[in-house]
Amino acid sequence: MEVLLENVLNLVGFLVGLIIGIMSLIGFRNTGSPTLFRLTIAFFSISAGFLVIWSGHMIEDLVAESGIIKRWIQTLGIGIQTTGYFFIAFSHSIKAFFPKSRYFRSVGVLPLFLVSSVQLEHIFRSVSFILLAYGAIETMLSYFENKNRGAISVATGLAMLAFGEFLGWYSFVFPESVLDHVSTIIKIGGLILLFVPVSKIPLTRIKFDDGPDNLK
Amino acid sequence: MDRQAMAEYRTHMKIIGDILYTTRDDLQDEGGATVTYLIRKANISHSRISRILKTLVSQGLLEQVDSQGANKYRISPSGREFLQAYHAFTEFADSFGLNI
Repeated sequence: MEVLLENVLNLVGFLVGLIIGIMSLIGFRNTGSPTLFRLTIAFFSISAGFLVIWSGHMIEDLVAESGIIKRWIQTLGIGIQTTGYFFIAFSHSIKAFFPKSRYFRSVGVLPLFLVSSVQLEHIFRSVSFILLAYGAIETMLSYFENKNRGAISVATGLAMLAFGEFLGWYSFVFPESVLDHVSTIIKIGGLILLFVPVSKIPLTRIKFDDGPDNLK
Repeated sequence: MDRQAMAEYRTHMKIIGDILYTTRDDLQDEGGATVTYLIRKANISHSRISRILKTLVSQGLLEQVDSQGANKYRISPSGREFLQAYHAFTEFADSFGLNI
């Protein structure tokens, strides 16, 4: 059951990240927007992170047949995902504080000082939680400004990913408990919610290859 | 600085979108929009809009027309396609609470 849920999470994460990353890339190529460039890096990183963990599970199951993923592969995958979450949070920092305030620089660095864990994986999970929570709050605040319904779905999705990450980190304290399953299910739900508004974007009317290359 | 004041900041992309929307939807006449009109609508300085207009013309998004000795600008077919993409991806970025 645990392995199945873990595989579903990694595959859903890989696919959702890949699709949103491709859409962001198309948007960047068509408009030259730096925001879309950052979203491209963010979602390709998230996708790659899930792929690394899934590949680790597959190699262990099918080749090594040990059934337990190597710790360094899991850490690498979570680290790559954290990079993606960082770029989402970074985009919000720029929107909220650029260009007049220097505050965003401090919030970009702050999470690194908030954690005291000794293991790299704990640090990545902690940082992921902070970045995701920050992204969820900023997205919800933006909903109050723009009333774009898609923002509610994305904010809830990011919040669920954050909560799932928190529970996942907490399960280090209580290993082998039901918390692990709950964390995985919540994260799958969060990823699906991230995809909902993106699936409604009317891309079919756009001619993709004639966008300007240099508008900056 | 409070949040509302910061929200007034427009990205470079937003200014380009505003200029293109003006030339598509809000023209004084069929001949195109003058620089003065675009400055008023886009609310930016002459030097900045000159640079942006030069870029937009070189990218083929705007057409420069000579009308009775005055330079005027009107949107090109590529510019209309760009606006479609701009509109779709503005919505996309809005879903993430971001501005493109």
